[in-house]
Amino acid sequence: MEYHDLYFNIDHGYLEGIVRGFKSGILKQGDYLNLVQCETLEDLKLHLQSTDYGNFLANEASPLSVSTIDDKLKEKMVIEFNHMRNHCFEPLATFLDYITYSYMIDNIILLITGTLRQRPINELIPKCHPLGSFEQMEAIHIASTPAELYNAVLVDTPLAPYFMDCISEQDLDELHIEIIRNTLYKAYLEDFYQFCKSLGGATSEAMCEALAFEADRRAFIITINSIGTELSKEDRAKLYPRCGKLYPDGLSLLGRADDQDQVRAVADFYGDYKEIFDGAGNNPGDKTLEDKFFEHEVKLMKNSFMMQFQFGVFYAFVKLKEQENRNIVWIAECVAQRHRAKIDSYIPIFQ
Amino acid sequence: MGSLFRSEDMTLCQLFLQSEASYACVSELGELGLVQFRDLNPDVNAFQRKFVNEVRRCDEMERKLRFLEKEIKKDGIPMLDTGDNPDAPVPREMIDLEATFEKLESEMNDVNANTEALKKNFLELTELKHILRKTQTFFDEAEHHNIQAMHEPMVTDDNVGLLGEEVARTSQALKLGFVAGVILRERIPAFERMLWRVCRGNVFLKQAEIDSPLEDPVTGDKVDKSVFIIFFQGEQLKSRVKKICEGFRATLYPCPETQSERREMAIGVMTRIEDLNTVLGQTQDHRHRLLVAAAKNIKVWFIKVRKIKAIYHTLNMFNLDVTQKCLIAECWCPVADLDRIQQALHRGNERSGSSVPSILNRMNTRQEPPTYNRLNKFTSVFQHIVDAYGVASYREVNPAPWTIISFPFLFAIMFGDLGHGTVMLLFALFLILREKQIAAKVADNEIFGMFFNGRYIMMLMGAFSIYTGLIYNDIFSKSLNIFGSGWKPDPVMYDYYKMDKSSYKINPNASSYSNGPYPIGLDPVWALALNKITITNSLKMKISVIFGVIHMTFGLSLSLLNHRYFKKPLNIYCEFIPQLIFMCSIFGYLIMVIIVKWLKFTEKDTRIAPNLIIGLINMFLFNYTKESDLWYSGQKGFQIFLVMVAGFCVPWMLCVKPYILWKRNKSGQTNTYTLINDNTYQQENDVPEVVHHVDIENSNEPDDEIEEKEFDIGEVLIGQAIHTIEYCLGCISHTASYLRLWALSLAHGQLSEVLWSMVLQIAFQMNSQIISTIMIIVCFAFWATLTVIILVLMEGMSAFLHALRLHWVEFQSKFYKGDGYLFIPFSFDNLIEYSVEETSSRRR
Repeated sequence: MEYHDLYFNIDHGYLEGIVRGFKSGILKQGDYLNLVQCETLEDLKLHLQSTDYGNFLANEASPLSVSTIDDKLKEKMVIEFNHMRNHCFEPLATFLDYITYSYMIDNIILLITGTLRQRPINELIPKCHPLGSFEQMEAIHIASTPAELYNAVLVDTPLAPYFMDCISEQDLDELHIEIIRNTLYKAYLEDFYQFCKSLGGATSEAMCEALAFEADRRAFIITINSIGTELSKEDRAKLYPRCGKLYPDGLSLLGRADDQDQVRAVADFYGDYKEIFDGAGNNPGDKTLEDKFFEHEVKLMKNSFMMQFQFGVFYAFVKLKEQENRNIVWIAECVAQRHRAKIDSYIPIFQ
Repeated sequence: MGSLFRSEDMTLCQLFLQSEASYACVSELGELGLVQFRDLNPDVNAFQRKFVNEVRRCDEMERKLRFLEKEIKKDGIPMLDTGDNPDAPVPREMIDLEATFEKLESEMNDVNANTEALKKNFLELTELKHILRKTQTFFDEAEHHNIQAMHEPMVTDDNVGLLGEEVARTSQALKLGFVAGVILRERIPAFERMLWRVCRGNVFLKQAEIDSPLEDPVTGDKVDKSVFIIFFQGEQLKSRVKKICEGFRATLYPCPETQSERREMAIGVMTRIEDLNTVLGQTQDHRHRLLVAAAKNIKVWFIKVRKIKAIYHTLNMFNLDVTQKCLIAECWCPVADLDRIQQALHRGNERSGSSVPSILNRMNTRQEPPTYNRLNKFTSVFQHIVDAYGVASYREVNPAPWTIISFPFLFAIMFGDLGHGTVMLLFALFLILREKQIAAKVADNEIFGMFFNGRYIMMLMGAFSIYTGLIYNDIFSKSLNIFGSGWKPDPVMYDYYKMDKSSYKINPNASSYSNGPYPIGLDPVWALALNKITITNSLKMKISVIFGVIHMTFGLSLSLLNHRYFKKPLNIYCEFIPQLIFMCSIFGYLIMVIIVKWLKFTEKDTRIAPNLIIGLINMFLFNYTKESDLWYSGQKGFQIFLVMVAGFCVPWMLCVKPYILWKRNKSGQTNTYTLINDNTYQQENDVPEVVHHVDIENSNEPDDEIEEKEFDIGEVLIGQAIHTIEYCLGCISHTASYLRLWALSLAHGQLSEVLWSMVLQIAFQMNSQIISTIMIIVCFAFWATLTVIILVLMEGMSAFLHALRLHWVEFQSKFYKGDGYLFIPFSFDNLIEYSVEETSSRRR
């Protein structure tokens, strides 16, 4: 599309304005400083009232529980997301749909794992993320093999093409579920990456970086988690999403890694990741690798807001909001369990 | 003129309230609504304040009330709004209220839970009823096919219904199982597809819609559902089908296989539904009684709870004394009302039975007090017009009292039409006379609310438009000939048969002018003249300039009042006087010339009358070559003198003040200037009981301290240069800007004339009387609608905006700083509509 920026506002200007407005509602460092001082969840509620969250907990009877807060946080985000989804034009509509696919994958995996452990489906449904719900979701427990899962449930969903690679798996057991999850994710990320690339312009610039990071993060995590399990190296190499900065050299190196130090050696070749691995540690007081990854993600997402006329802001908003929800829930948990030692290990977003 | 002229004299007060009396005192002050409390603990989190628990209890009560309100609204019970305003309840009563709400809520919850269970039961039974009914028809059809198939053996398998075939098989050997249930109608396609995929086509689904929508017991919404029946073979399929049904939230019901059993069951279901209905009715009655009782009080409860909450919010802003025995508050209040505040505090003390009286201390502060003008419903709309531009600085001259007259007047110059003015006046009068009834309805209608709030300004605008319409002699673009025109057509020149009918040009020199000028406004004969536009243009343009210059000069003279009040003599000598001279020597002279020209030149000597615009330009160019341009003796000398004086004023404005300041600064006198500048009101505030609280001030808000600026000659010079350039150019551009009065008036007049001649006039020109009559009716309706929509509404809006601009920019720039902030007293009045968070956030 030529003159992409020129016409951007005709279709997407309104929503970009909205999402930037939503972004300014994201809690600042000052809010977090106040939140960590809370003695009870009621205090937390009182403080959140003075932020953009407003009266979102006003109609909840006390005593509050962390899970209600979590639900309400999610609900607010979903309302905002759906508002945007309902007002958007192509190609933004497809773009926003792509964002929901990752939640769908998570939901599917959650449901399958749940049914494997003989949990009733009614108990599992409320745990699913509302952004990733789809019509056939609740009937997922009829499937006992991946092929059945595909034929019965997934064939009508947008995830169907991603599932092609796992049809051949034999059983649905713990290991295979992880494999399915990662294969789905891999296919999803690569597809999303291609889609963003095809959009061109600033969108591909911002989104490809974000998705490349996501892909690389998954590759690292898969490698680290698979060390010492029965997953073979060949199988493992198949799970790496091939759209990140690690592709192709880094991935082949990762594929041969046997222990944590070798993974770290791979990361040392890449400036950004070296920094992440260097900052992380397992000692008390150190930040975990996961947190470091989150921090880097937050940084990327904030940068996305520096560019105009691109869809990256929508992705960034969802990710930042998700991070904020994690932060609030973390603080709420710490407050509720009176375990204040680690209350400060949330990940600040905006100063 | 009281506080409308200048804002109310304000003072910062310190309140010492006994802990036990503080609640009652604040409650009294809230009813009074005359003090604005300052937040003394801005750094303290909301949840770390002293009365946070009480606020939280109020939140909880509000939540319960909202819950009740929701339930009341759901049942459509009218809520009694008596409009009475109960006093804030004493803290003891809070516990009673809490108990009442608690009881109501739990009762409501019980009832709701019961109803929900009953409704769920009811829903299940209804669904079962439908299933039995629909499946009956399925089975009947199947039977029918079966029989048909037996009777007509030639029919091929393809023609036999699928079900028929299967049932036929059933009768042979295979036992077909089936499940029946109810599912949401919109989920059927996906449901069917999945059934097909999972069971590989080995099941048969038959479905029928339930005609009447069923009520969802949880949300109370009406939902459409469908009955389905699935036939399958074997246990494995059965479990799969059941799982799918579960996944799609279909409810399955047992359905007997034989017809007699089904019938029996149907009868049983019917009786149970009837029983349930009676129970349900009783529960609903109970619920209704509860809600009706609650609806009577709910508004009052809301007000009470909000008042309590507001009081505790306010108490949270107070400081606690070291001894914990009293609360210290700081507030702004008008000096004139100190007595009333004292009385309120006294009442509060009495109510709480506290022995130690509350103390109100006036404090000395260097902070800028808020601006407070006492308003009534008439003046408030004009004050809002001014405040929309900027709230007046503390005690500076408030433009609102003059706006009351000048705004509608300038509007009317643009909108001058007797007819349109009358329409506007009548509408405004209607709004004013029906004020009370309309105010109740208008609350939620934003657009109409705008008109309603501006009813007084509309009344004045309408009235003034009638007046200017009379002067312009313009009513719906026609003229009124009340007193008889002063022009008599000269029988020789205006011979009806001889003259050219296309040009009724009035020649001023024709000797037909007799009766003297028309007593009021424009002579109606101009309405007929071809050169009407020329004469009205000249008239309106001159009027615009005259009013513009007068308006601006008036604004300028208001700045004198400000300078005198704030004791800045330097500004008078170095700004006001040269500004006034500059304005008068150029534009004052211009309007003088205009008036003299009107008086001096009669219709006889129009030919030798000077052209004022050319004259003004030549005056600046010192171009006096044409003798004919000069029309009074000494004109050349006088005009040169005026231009020189105006030119001299520029360096006067530009240089004198910075020079004096610089000199003062050099000789160490700078203090006098800053003192005048910052502490003016302290000097005249002869406060008798000044308690010096500078230490508290400092400890609380060190940022508020006004720093004495270092004297910087460069900065002063630049500021003064900008000021001077702005003023000099502004004088010229602003005078030109007032020509919009003429332009809009011209546009308005022309538009209404076009509307008359293009719409209504057509109807008058019909040949046949009957057609003409009909056309008049049609055209009049059309014309009247367009008149109201375009001429009154749209033109009115545009004239309003232009009048607004003339006031904000041209008038107020001459004297108005407008960098104060509004006095927002703590008052219960606003609470009835807004909840406390909103008001407190607005306060911020």
